[in-house]
Amino acid sequence: MGDKKTVDARGMACPGPIAKLTRAYREAKNGDVIEILATDQGFIPDIKAWIESTGNKLIELKQDGGVIRAVIEVTAKK
Amino acid sequence: MNGEKVLVVGGGAGGLLVSNLLAGDGKEVTLVTDNPEHYFQPANLFIAFKGESPESYKRSVESLLDPKVRLILDKLSKLDLGNRTALTERGKRLEYDYVIVAAGARMDYNSLPGMKENFETFGDYYSSPEAAVKVWNTVSRMKNGKLIIGVPDLIIKCPPAPHKGVFLAAEFFKKEKRDVTVELLYPSPHIYTEAELAKTIESKMKSFSNIEYRTSFLIDSVDTGRKVVIGMNGEEIKYDALVLIPFHKGPDIDVNPAEARDDDGFIKVDKRKLNITSYDDAFAIGDCNNAPTSKTGVAAHLGAFVVWKRINGRNAEYSGRTNCPLITDDEAIFVISDYDHKPVGQRFSRLKRLMEDLFVAMYFPSLRYPRKFEPIFDVYFNATEPHILGEKGW
Repeated sequence: MGDKKTVDARGMACPGPIAKLTRAYREAKNGDVIEILATDQGFIPDIKAWIESTGNKLIELKQDGGVIRAVIEVTAKK
Repeated sequence: MNGEKVLVVGGGAGGLLVSNLLAGDGKEVTLVTDNPEHYFQPANLFIAFKGESPESYKRSVESLLDPKVRLILDKLSKLDLGNRTALTERGKRLEYDYVIVAAGARMDYNSLPGMKENFETFGDYYSSPEAAVKVWNTVSRMKNGKLIIGVPDLIIKCPPAPHKGVFLAAEFFKKEKRDVTVELLYPSPHIYTEAELAKTIESKMKSFSNIEYRTSFLIDSVDTGRKVVIGMNGEEIKYDALVLIPFHKGPDIDVNPAEARDDDGFIKVDKRKLNITSYDDAFAIGDCNNAPTSKTGVAAHLGAFVVWKRINGRNAEYSGRTNCPLITDDEAIFVISDYDHKPVGQRFSRLKRLMEDLFVAMYFPSLRYPRKFEPIFDVYFNATEPHILGEKGW
């Protein structure tokens, strides 16, 4: 099992939650899990597109009371 | 109250504005900065890709300050929020009733293997006018091949600046009829962090035959020997010249308590009141704070006015407003958003490019005489509030 890290990007519209995810992903290794919390609605299509183009794994994507929670497993690092 | 002691840290736009505003009220203002020169940071693009002289965009900090402000040219090394004291590197001890940290972001070249060496070779248009001259020295001599502008991280000053560099470089090579391709490597799934704006920017990029771009490209490292950028998935892209946008970290000040800063050293503030978390006599404005908005001169400008009003007992708040210009050689759009509104849709226009030129022309006098220029900025900001532009865009 890898490490788990939570990225809180709630209330962040510009430059957006992907900015915070990018920072966390740099530090992560394959097998790690990153949980991202966001309130920007654009984050849902963005994280799907990001997963598709980077080849990492989306474990969970849920919205609860305005807060979007995405959990990804890092699998695409060399 | 008159005679209150205000300590301002940093001689950038935010520090100068707030110092001049408060000095005008009769406060006893001290500004500490280790850089005797203030330069207009967006002009680094004109130096890097148009060969303009750095001298036209520099002024001495002293010339931009109300003479009533006491200027100390020294580096602030320690700030003790509990005791309301600060210490400079040369050992000067300062006391204050209010402190405003406007120290900017620190450029970090060590978070990515090869970045430091690449910076020494090619420079960039973020770090300083001198580093931008280095970019021009490369660009002006390139006859063919590929110039890559790489964005490893998105928490950066002026989020559209990587794109501006691409447009200005492509325009230069086109005009000079040189066989050089400019490629943008960008980490988010769209070519800009906001999807709708990304479409506008993407179609503008497609109108250039010498611009290429890659999205979701996460830069892992640079092999300066083989001249390749290496992605986190192991993919390699070859370059002839490479400009990397450095990582941004909080300022190099030892703040007590340490909890006042986040993991990257940015100073934690209330995003609307801009006071440093749990202190009502300490503020942080502009690039050095952790407010969840863009790092941009507009945030420093508006933040300076909010803090000035708050110190005078008025209930001003910062809305998170951004106004980041994305220019090509002859057109522009503005990335306009706030905490409650994502960036509004934009169309490229020549009139917006003219407006950007007007902002540039107003820059230095508006720092020195903020009260005179504020009505002009007010008209502009009020007319372009994200909720006013709304769905129609601009």
